[in-house]
Amino acid sequence: MPASSLSEPAADTPVLAVEGLHITVNGGRTEAVRDISFTVRAGEAVGLVGESGSGKTLTCRSVLGALPPGVQVSAGTATLADRGGGSTDLTGLDRRGWERLRGVRLGAVFQDPASYLNPSLTVGRQLAEPLMVRQGLSRAAAHRRAVDLFTAVGLHRPAEVYHRYPHELSGGMLQRVLIAVAVSGDPELLVADEATTALDTVVQAEVLDLLGRLRSERGLALLLVSHDLAVVAEVCDRIVVLYAGEVVEEGPTEQVLAAPAHPYTEALLRVASLGDWSRRELAVIPGRPPEAGRAPTGCRFADRCAHARPECRDGVVELRSAGEGRRSRCVRLEALHLSGTVLQEVSA
Amino acid sequence: MRTLRRTWRVPIARLALAVLAAVALLAVFGGQLAPQNPLAQDANHILAGPSGAHLLGTDYLGRDVLSRLLAGTGLSVAGALEATGVALLVGIIPGLASLWLGRVFEWISLRAVDALMTLPFTLFAIAAIGLLGNGIHQAMIALGVLLSPLFFRVTRAAALGLRQSPYVEAAELMGASRRWVLRHHIWSKVLPTVAVTTAQALATSLLTVASLTFLGLGVQPPAPTWGGMLATDLGFLSQQPWAPVLPGLLVMVTAGALHLLADALRDSGAADAVREPHAAATADPAPAAREEKADARIVTV
Amino acid sequence: MSTAESAAGSAAEGTALLEIDALSVAYGRRGGRPGQQILEEVSLRARAGEILGVIGETGSGKTTLARAVVGLAPVTGGRITVDGAEITGLRGRALREFRRTGRIQYLFQDPLRSLDPDLTVGALVAEPLAVTGTGSREQRAERAAEALHRVGLDPGLAERLPGQLSGGQRQRVSLARAVVTRPRLLLADEPVSALDASNRNHVLRLFDRLRTELDVAVVVISHDLSSLAGIADRIAVLYRGRLVEQGPTAEVLTHPLHPYTALLTASAPSVRREHRIPPGRLRRQEAAPEWALEGAGGCGFAARCVFADDACRAAPAVEARPGAREVACHHADTWRGRLSSPELAVVAVGR
Repeated sequence: MPASSLSEPAADTPVLAVEGLHITVNGGRTEAVRDISFTVRAGEAVGLVGESGSGKTLTCRSVLGALPPGVQVSAGTATLADRGGGSTDLTGLDRRGWERLRGVRLGAVFQDPASYLNPSLTVGRQLAEPLMVRQGLSRAAAHRRAVDLFTAVGLHRPAEVYHRYPHELSGGMLQRVLIAVAVSGDPELLVADEATTALDTVVQAEVLDLLGRLRSERGLALLLVSHDLAVVAEVCDRIVVLYAGEVVEEGPTEQVLAAPAHPYTEALLRVASLGDWSRRELAVIPGRPPEAGRAPTGCRFADRCAHARPECRDGVVELRSAGEGRRSRCVRLEALHLSGTVLQEVSA
Repeated sequence: MRTLRRTWRVPIARLALAVLAAVALLAVFGGQLAPQNPLAQDANHILAGPSGAHLLGTDYLGRDVLSRLLAGTGLSVAGALEATGVALLVGIIPGLASLWLGRVFEWISLRAVDALMTLPFTLFAIAAIGLLGNGIHQAMIALGVLLSPLFFRVTRAAALGLRQSPYVEAAELMGASRRWVLRHHIWSKVLPTVAVTTAQALATSLLTVASLTFLGLGVQPPAPTWGGMLATDLGFLSQQPWAPVLPGLLVMVTAGALHLLADALRDSGAADAVREPHAAATADPAPAAREEKADARIVTV
Repeated sequence: MSTAESAAGSAAEGTALLEIDALSVAYGRRGGRPGQQILEEVSLRARAGEILGVIGETGSGKTTLARAVVGLAPVTGGRITVDGAEITGLRGRALREFRRTGRIQYLFQDPLRSLDPDLTVGALVAEPLAVTGTGSREQRAERAAEALHRVGLDPGLAERLPGQLSGGQRQRVSLARAVVTRPRLLLADEPVSALDASNRNHVLRLFDRLRTELDVAVVVISHDLSSLAGIADRIAVLYRGRLVEQGPTAEVLTHPLHPYTALLTASAPSVRREHRIPPGRLRRQEAAPEWALEGAGGCGFAARCVFADDACRAAPAVEARPGAREVACHHADTWRGRLSSPELAVVAVGR
C-alpha cells in the first residue's frame, strides 16, 4: 500500500464502493445502466472502459452527483468511505452534502479543459480562490499553495503560469491546472472522465504519468473512464469493462488483457491501439450496441459476438466469478479460450 | 416556410396572427365595410355617444367614428408597410453585400449605417416632409431609410456568423460562386432573423405613422387616420372622454400583436438556427463532440 | 535536386501526384512585418494510390499544410504541384475554375459542422456537381447515389438531414461528397478523431479501400499515431512547422530517426508495449537552453530535446537516409547511442 500522510480507512474498506447501481433516463422510463458494481481502493487505479452508450459516463456522473435532469439513480448505492470510519452514500446526497464533498473528498477532471475554466480570470486566481474560501487560507498563503500545486502537477515555471489566462496555455497545461484544482483539497478519490482524449499524444502520456504519480504519492484512489483500452491499460491496476449498460468483465489489468474472459473484451483488444506499428488489418466489431431500454433478452453482446450460441440468448446472464478477483458476464465462460495480448515491460 | 410552421406551434403566435389577419382585412376592405361614409358630416349629431346609427358615436364634425376607424386602418397600415418595405430593401441587400463585396464597400456601408443610426425617427421624418413636401410617401420613405440600419445590422450579423461556417468554406472549396453560397447556404438561414426584425419594424413604423399623423403631418385631413383621430379626440376630451381610447386601442393592439409575433418567431427556435453557427464557428477546433456526445439517447452532461 | 529528392524518387514507382516543394506559410505578413510563421520549407510527395500520413501535435502546422494545398492558407514561399500543374499562385477566378474540376477534395475535421444542416444528404453529396452544372438533376442524383453506395451507405439515406445521422454516418456522407467528383487527391483532416475506437476503424478501412478503387492519392492528417499506423504507407512528421522525419510508416514508427518521433511513439498509449523506450527518457526536464527558447532560428525541437547541444543552434536540413527516408536532425545517427548514458539521465525526466 503506498504511503500516505492521511489516516486511511481500514485497509480492506474501499474508498469508493458502487453496488448494484441502476440508472434510468427519460424521466425514469428507460433503464440505461443496470446493476453496476465495482470498488476502488486507496492508491488503486480502476479503469472503466466501454464504447459510446456503454453507460460509463452516466456511472461516472452519478458518482459525482452530476446527472442531468431526467436522469436518476433508480437503485443501488455508491458509497464513499469517510476518513474516520463510516461512509457517505453518494446517491442520497442533497445539494448541501455535495457542497461539502466536492473538491474536498472527491475531485474530478473532464475532457475539454478550456471549457472548465473562466476565460477572464488567471488560472492562478482560479486555483487560489477555492483555497481561500474552502480552506480559509490568506491570499498570500493561497498563492503559495497554488504555485506549489502547479509544481506538483509538473507545470514548468509555475510562478509564471499563475498569472496566465486560460487562452494563453495549451490543452495539456490547462488539464494540469484542472488536475491541480481537483487535488487541491486533498481528496480521497479522483475521477478522470476522458481526461486525456482531447490531448496530443505526447501530452497525453505526460498527463497519464502525472495521474499515476499522484496516485502513488498521495494514495489517491483513481477512477479513469475512457473509451480507449490502451489508455486504461497504461495507468490502471484493474479494468471494468462496460457494455450496453452492464459490467461484462472485471479484473486485474494484466490478467484481463492477457486472457480476457469475455468476447467483448477480446473484441476491444483487437480494435485497440496495440503499439504494433506494422500495417495490419484494421479490426472492427460488426454491428452497433443495443439502444438503452431496447436490450435483447439474454446476453446483450450476442448479436455481435463471434462465439455466440443459441443458449446465450436464453434469459438473464449473471456476472460470475472468473478466477481470483475476476468476474465475467459470459454464458460460455468455461468453454471459451479467448486470445489476449501480453503486457510487456519496456527495455531500452 | 419551416419558420412559419414552427411559429404556428406557439399558442401566442396564433393569437397574434389572428389579430394581424383581422387588421389586414380591415386595411384592405375597411372602406367597404364601413357602414357610413367616413367623410360625411352630420351637423345634427356632433360628438354623439353610441347609438343605433353610429355604433361608436360621432366626432366633432358629426362623422361616424366607426367608419372612420375602419377606413383609417388602410392608411395607417399602408404607411407602416411602405416604410418597412423601404427599410428591407435598403437594409438587407447592402447588409449582405458588405460581407461579400470587399473591404472598401464594407467600410463605407458601415459608416453610412452608423450615421443613419444617430438620427431620431420622428424628427427626421418631419424634416423630410419639410424638405420634400407634405405627403405620406415622402415621410414613409424617409422613415424607411432610417429603419434600414436595423436590417443592415441584423442581416450582416447573421450572415457573418454563417460565412465562417465550415460548410460555407466547403462550398467555396467546390468552386461555388458567391451567388451560389448566398442562395443555397446563407439566405434561408438569415430569413428567420429577418422575419423577427420585420415584425418589430412594422410595429415601430406603425407607431411612427400614428405620431406623424397625430402631429398633422403626412396625411391631409379630412382623410381618416388613427393618429389623426387621436389628435382631434384629445381636443374634445371633456365632451367625449372615451373617444381617444378607440384609435389608441387599435394602434396598441396592432403594434402589440406585431411584437408578440416577433417574440413567437424568435422563440420558435427558428432564429436559433442562425445563432448556432455563430457559436460553432468560434469554438475550439480541437477534436470535438465524439460519437457519444452526438448520440441522443445517452444524455451526457 | 537535393539528395533527398533523388533518394525518394528512386524508391518510388510512378510519378508523384502531389508535390509540395519548400512550402512556407505565414499569417499576418504585411509590409516589413514577418508575421507568424506556421510552416517553413516543408517538402512532401504523395503518389496515386498511396496514403500519406501527416502527423504532428497542435501547432505543428499539419492542418495548415492541407489548407494550403486547397488554397485556404497564405503561402509565402515554395510550390505546390498537382498532377503536373502548379497551383500555388492561383487566385480568384482561376482558383475557382480549378476548384470546380474537383481534382482535389478536402475533408473537414468535423462532419457535423461541414455539412449544411438544412440540406438533405442527397443535395449535399450532389452539390459539387450542381455547382459546376454537371449533367441533369437525375444524373447528379445518380452519381450521388453511387457515391453513397461506394462509402458504404444506403442510398436511401439521401432524403435525411445530417442531424438525423450518427457521427460515423456523417463522416461517410462527407466522404461521399468528396469522391463524387472522382478526385485525384484527397486531403482528410483528422477524419476519425471525433469517432470512438470501433467506428474509427470502419472509416479507416474505407479510406484504404477507396484509394485502391479510385486510384487517388490520400493525405491523412492526424495527431493519433494508431489511426495512421493502420493505413498509411508513408508517414511525415511535422513539428512546429518543419518536417522532421519522413518515410515508410512501419520503419519510421518502429525505428524512428528523430528524437521527436521517438518521443511520439514512446508516448502513444498501447495495450502491449514491446520494445519501447520509456517516454520519460526522451522528455527534457531541465530548463531549455536560452537560445532555444528565443526561437531565433535553430532547431525547433531543441527546447524540448534531451539531446540538444550547440550544434542545434543551426536549423537542421532535411537529409536522405536509406530506405526512402528523410530526417532533419543533427544527431539523427548518434542519439540512440547516447540514450543510456549517465549525463542524459540528469536531463531527462526519468522512468
